[in-house]
Amino acid sequence: MIETIEHLGLGLSVALTLQNVFFCFVGCLIGTLVGVLPGVGPVATISILLPVTLSLDPTGALIMLAGIYYGAQYGGSTTAILVNIPGEATAVVTAIDGHEMAKRGKAGLALGLAAIGSFIAGTFATIVIAALATPMTKLGLLFGPAEYFSLMIMGLVLAVVLAHGSLVKALAMIVAGVLLSCVGADMETGRERMTFGLHMLTDGIEFVVLAMGIFGFGEIFKNLADPEKRDVVRGKIGRLLPTLAELRENIRPILRGTGLGSVLGVLPGNGAILAPFASYALEKRLSDRPQDFGKGVPAAVAGPESANNAGAQTSFIPLLTLGLPPNAVMALMVGAMMIQGIVPGPQVIENNPDLFWGLVASMWIGNLMLVVINLPLIGLWVKLLKVPYRLLFPAIVAFCCIGLFSISNDPAQVMMAGVLGLLGFALYKLQFEAAPLALGFVLGRLLEEKLRQALLISDGSMTTFLTSPLSAFLLLIGLVALVIAVLPSMRKSRDEIFTDA
Amino acid sequence: MTQFTRRFMLAIGAASISVSALPAFAQDYPTKPVTLVVSYAAGGGTDAIARVFAARLEKALDGRVIVENRPGAAANIGTDVVAKSDPDGYTLLIGNQGPMVVNPHIFKLRNDPAETLDPIAMIADAQLVVVVGPRLPVKSMAELLEKAKSQRLVYGSAGNASASHVATLLMGQMAHVDLKHVPYKGAGPAVNDLVGGHVDFMVTTVPSVIGLIQNGTLTALAVTGKERFPALPDLPTVAEAGLPEYSATAWYGLLGPKGLPEEVRQKLAGATAETLADPAFLESLQKDGGVPSHLVGKDFADFMASERERWGEVVKAANIKVE
Repeated sequence: MIETIEHLGLGLSVALTLQNVFFCFVGCLIGTLVGVLPGVGPVATISILLPVTLSLDPTGALIMLAGIYYGAQYGGSTTAILVNIPGEATAVVTAIDGHEMAKRGKAGLALGLAAIGSFIAGTFATIVIAALATPMTKLGLLFGPAEYFSLMIMGLVLAVVLAHGSLVKALAMIVAGVLLSCVGADMETGRERMTFGLHMLTDGIEFVVLAMGIFGFGEIFKNLADPEKRDVVRGKIGRLLPTLAELRENIRPILRGTGLGSVLGVLPGNGAILAPFASYALEKRLSDRPQDFGKGVPAAVAGPESANNAGAQTSFIPLLTLGLPPNAVMALMVGAMMIQGIVPGPQVIENNPDLFWGLVASMWIGNLMLVVINLPLIGLWVKLLKVPYRLLFPAIVAFCCIGLFSISNDPAQVMMAGVLGLLGFALYKLQFEAAPLALGFVLGRLLEEKLRQALLISDGSMTTFLTSPLSAFLLLIGLVALVIAVLPSMRKSRDEIFTDA
Repeated sequence: MTQFTRRFMLAIGAASISVSALPAFAQDYPTKPVTLVVSYAAGGGTDAIARVFAARLEKALDGRVIVENRPGAAANIGTDVVAKSDPDGYTLLIGNQGPMVVNPHIFKLRNDPAETLDPIAMIADAQLVVVVGPRLPVKSMAELLEKAKSQRLVYGSAGNASASHVATLLMGQMAHVDLKHVPYKGAGPAVNDLVGGHVDFMVTTVPSVIGLIQNGTLTALAVTGKERFPALPDLPTVAEAGLPEYSATAWYGLLGPKGLPEEVRQKLAGATAETLADPAFLESLQKDGGVPSHLVGKDFADFMASERERWGEVVKAANIKVE
């Protein structure tokens, strides 16, 4: 304990030098911008900035790059709440209730809760990294393909809980998402699946393209088709910051989300994407009024946003303790460290303690800065909604198109998003939820990958998912959650049948 | 060669001399930004090398060099983009082993790199390293091969037909052992499962595992090049350790569309040589497990041809084919 405090003290002394505070600020600022702009992600930003960091001192460079990463995670929720465009998989959940809140004139409250929740989560995750990094890493390593597959199955069950309408429709959307994730070259044989000979589909559909099409463009079609509804909504702005009572109400979701995110963030292969979904499902389960979820519940923003941010931060753990990058951004951080002559791995903590603890401490400072940067901006963001829609929507479309094009400098991606936008609009008209589709899509890819890897290792024996205790345990939780989720709705539909009769 | 073709060749030679003497633009090259196409998404190993290379090339050329990522279709899209561009030296490609010499054996390509691209200069040759994790407690290459005779070992790779995959295939074929391949999406997740003890061993790039080797989490058994790797001098090559003919490296080179003006090509080759002499570039190259290469023009083309033949046999023997 005392050791942890000493370490954090050392870290703070490094992170609080004028130069490093500056780098942290620059990183957070760039990150926020990148996050707010739909389509421009932290991966592209960091790789473009990587050569620039060559001339910086290693600690400053890493502090800045880390700032871009969690700043972007944070900025992404702003766009999700205001215009229903989740730039990252993790912001899909925030968009569900966050955008509903914005439509009801509570955009300020949603953004405020997201900011405060993220800060609390960031603070807690920093302490987790400082105190528990090593045991957390061991937990992450327990997850081989079989265990991961079972975790994803559990995640898909959680997706069912996400739906606030018909269970059958939610299941259909999840399956559709999984199917969409199968488009593209087979990972093992390279054979093309569902590409219809189209070159742009050989690598599958990018998540950003899917999200911007179905959520972003779909939302725009929806608003243009229904102008009256939209204008009523935009008339109200509401309070900017949450009251103490609202904070008190949401502190539990924030803390629960933080806990979930901290654990899931450590898992390899971007386990952090599960965190907001898990948090949403948990809050819905614990809520007195689960039927309101999806209609703008503050806890459904506060919890997942905290989970998202905690996960983003603890995903640094495997990188810092073992040199194992759990996602693409962390892989870039490895590159940044190598360029600076620092070999990522357990020896970093011994050989470069100032860098290690400086980086950890800078995350807390960065989270504080994000609040400082973003709280005053909330007023500005919310005013953005006051802009006449005839001016706002072309701007959104333009930014989306730039972002989509920048993914691989290919106009085909923009066209694909347009087509998916029509699909999103059709789904809205038919009253299907897009969120379960997005989760099915994200998890489907990992699900297939891990299933096939597990079966390759076990020579095709399915028992591998049950002989591993961890995997069996996760499947059991999934089963229990499914039963809990299905039972009430079955009862309900039976009730409906009875009332109809 | 018949009389006719010899005269024909002479005519072409004379024509090319007069052509190259004529246009002033080739001497001023570059007068506008040069686009360096990378066939992978930003953030990968090739992208990292390309960006550091581009930054140094800018100095040597005294002009802007912009890295453009054109990922997709197993890196074949980047090849297509450059093959179809004007051969004026303003669109260049960072070519590497996979799309240049392995893919032609696996995919039906729209543009065969050997016919549609002009090799300018090779940049670097990067060693791979054979590592084992906690699941397979062997200490040497010989032990690994011995073990592989009695049980079917599981190896992870960075993906189907990746350098890491084909290098392991070659090893298995030379040692006459049957190995079980588990593809991952990139080296990162595969190394993760190696450390977690879910797969037995892996042949991978040096930067992806060097830290884990140095702290003892993973055991390195050998490097895959013809010579030992300077940063890990105690490590034998696979050839030294039991498979005398073995060599497999991931290499990177600079290519342009077929028909580059000779002056532009020479300017680029010269700028590449200058970049390769830059100590800062060499240092970052070495961290990626690479050594500079000095193959230029035809030598580079010959090298690519021999690599293509060699890996074609490996891929064929393993029966990798995409219909």
